[in-house]
Amino acid sequence: MPKLSLKNIFDNRTGSAATILSLIEQLQAPVRIEDESGKVLLSFGSVTEKYRHPLHLGGEIIGWVTGDEKSSFISELLHLLLQKESERKKLGSEVLNLYREVNMIFDFSEKLAQTIDANSISQVTLDEASRVIRSNNGVIILWNEKTGRLQVVASIGELFFDEEMINSNLNLLQSIIFSGHSEIISDASDLKKAGVVVPQVQSVIYSALKVKHRIMGAIILASNEPEQYKAADLKLLTTLALQSSAAIESAFLYEKNIREEKEKQEALRQIYEATNKFVPHEFIKSLGHDVITDVKLGDQVEKIVTVLFSDIREYTTLSEKMTPEENFSFVCSFNEQIGPVIRKHNGFINQYLGDAIMAIFPGNATDALMAAIEMQQEVQLFNSTRHLLKEPSIQIGIGMHTGPLIMGITGDKNRMDACTISDTVNTASRLESLTKHYKAGILLSEASLRQISQVENFLIRNLGLVQLKGKQESINIHECFSGNSKQELQKKSESLSDFNAGVTYYLNKSFGQANHAFQKVVDFNPEDRTAKFFLNLTRQIIENGMAGAKAGVVEMREK
Amino acid sequence: MEQKLLIVDDETHIRMLLQQTLEELEDDEVNFLTAENGEEALAIIQEEKPQLVFLDVMMPKMNGMEVCRRVKKELGLNDVFIVLLTAKGQELDRQKGQEVGADVYMTKPFDPEMILKKAKEVLRLGN
Repeated sequence: MPKLSLKNIFDNRTGSAATILSLIEQLQAPVRIEDESGKVLLSFGSVTEKYRHPLHLGGEIIGWVTGDEKSSFISELLHLLLQKESERKKLGSEVLNLYREVNMIFDFSEKLAQTIDANSISQVTLDEASRVIRSNNGVIILWNEKTGRLQVVASIGELFFDEEMINSNLNLLQSIIFSGHSEIISDASDLKKAGVVVPQVQSVIYSALKVKHRIMGAIILASNEPEQYKAADLKLLTTLALQSSAAIESAFLYEKNIREEKEKQEALRQIYEATNKFVPHEFIKSLGHDVITDVKLGDQVEKIVTVLFSDIREYTTLSEKMTPEENFSFVCSFNEQIGPVIRKHNGFINQYLGDAIMAIFPGNATDALMAAIEMQQEVQLFNSTRHLLKEPSIQIGIGMHTGPLIMGITGDKNRMDACTISDTVNTASRLESLTKHYKAGILLSEASLRQISQVENFLIRNLGLVQLKGKQESINIHECFSGNSKQELQKKSESLSDFNAGVTYYLNKSFGQANHAFQKVVDFNPEDRTAKFFLNLTRQIIENGMAGAKAGVVEMREK
Repeated sequence: MEQKLLIVDDETHIRMLLQQTLEELEDDEVNFLTAENGEEALAIIQEEKPQLVFLDVMMPKMNGMEVCRRVKKELGLNDVFIVLLTAKGQELDRQKGQEVGADVYMTKPFDPEMILKKAKEVLRLGN
């Protein structure tokens, strides 16, 4: 508060000057009024130096009134006016201080409203506190329920509070700060002795941050001056602490909600991810849905697809030598290698049936054929590993057929399953079985072959007509040997014209010529077991006649 | 150099608070003038030509906007720096403030530090 001077009385703001002047005129008293430096503020008439009255205010002389006897009236009036003005100023200064507080709280509330996380709220609180309460440094510490430790979440100035020391001096702190009070510590020696605060700290002021009766932490300010803090500071700090406690509590609740929401989302995502592994996403997508929860009983869609079946040959014999665990891990490691191949070529695995796989290719039969070739190549890789481990090599047979297929959801309202209903599946499965008879790696139906673009990119030979078990019509089947080993592939390619000739003779029922052609193929490539199959077949027909067999059609009596 | 500062507000306690806030300027030969309404303010401005006016907007008789408009637009007293004071939450749009020629806008409850800083800046007084 600036000092009151005599000049204040004489400026026109208070109107005091007019009162004094009128008194002087009434009294007709020659008088001179000077300030403490001797500067003349007012002079009236010819002044005698008879009396010189000092003007006192707060124990100090702030001016002089000089004149005759009457000057004492002027001096007394001035004293009264000074007293009044001094009181007015004191009151004004107090009101201004209150106003500053109101303004600070108003401002602080506005700032808090814009902040949502606990750390920012703490920092805003601390900044505001140190602005209104003069301090060298300050911290806000919060109790972390999860870690069971106190944590410094905001600080200003040099960190005078050591986080490690706080936690190793929990008892000391609990006895003071966590008693839930606000207090001024004018003697910080206990805290210094414990090493909690740095040595230069002389006085400390703190207020607990609490909501209802739960203490969350504390705001602590420190000064290097002794006895720095007054009761008014404590009142301000308590107000700030109250406001920020509520805000910090809300922030914690908000953070908790967000965290829980995130966890829920993550759990849901994992469930979706898991269901996608059991029911392929392509299946759900085909039904016109995005997520499995939208799928309902009776959903169905019909599509032209290529169905691929793959099976490990003589798996029963193979598995007899294995324990159930070995068996299971063998199938798993095999499927692990095959699955990605199918997905790479835009297919999805509809079902694992032990050692067999049923895959669907919604796009084009070319996708399925490319996948089949790569699967055969994978098996060769798989075998080379098994060879190193001195384990017998395996063979797979793949059959595929293209046709309409209904995908849908069947079951009842409590137990549903994704299913496929189609004759295409049966045919593909039968073709896979046929690979055993024909000793072929990949068999595809005429319907699949017709869908294949750029058929010249694949090594294919026709195997003639076959009547599948339970079917009236016979279908034309083909072998693709693009997936064979290099030597086999070369030999089959070189003998392709003889083989094709054999099949043509066979279809025309010229079994003798057919037999001759297949003999030529077998002579050239004794490893060609498909040619051997036809060689034996034609020999049998020649020896036993055509009794019971449709001309040129291989009839399958078994599945 | 003696300078004049006029405080205009119909509420006594605001006038008092402003005076108290700006008190230390007295040491720099700044004289305070006060007015309780727009008409009185306009008369004082014409007569005394203060360097700085803190002018409340919401006042009986003539409001602060009108006082400002007359001073700046009609009387052309552009050397009078006018700070318009409006209540928080009732901020008039800045466009309107500019139309009447106000130099600065401040809101009530005012921040004493900001008021003092602004006054020192306008009156070119050091810290």
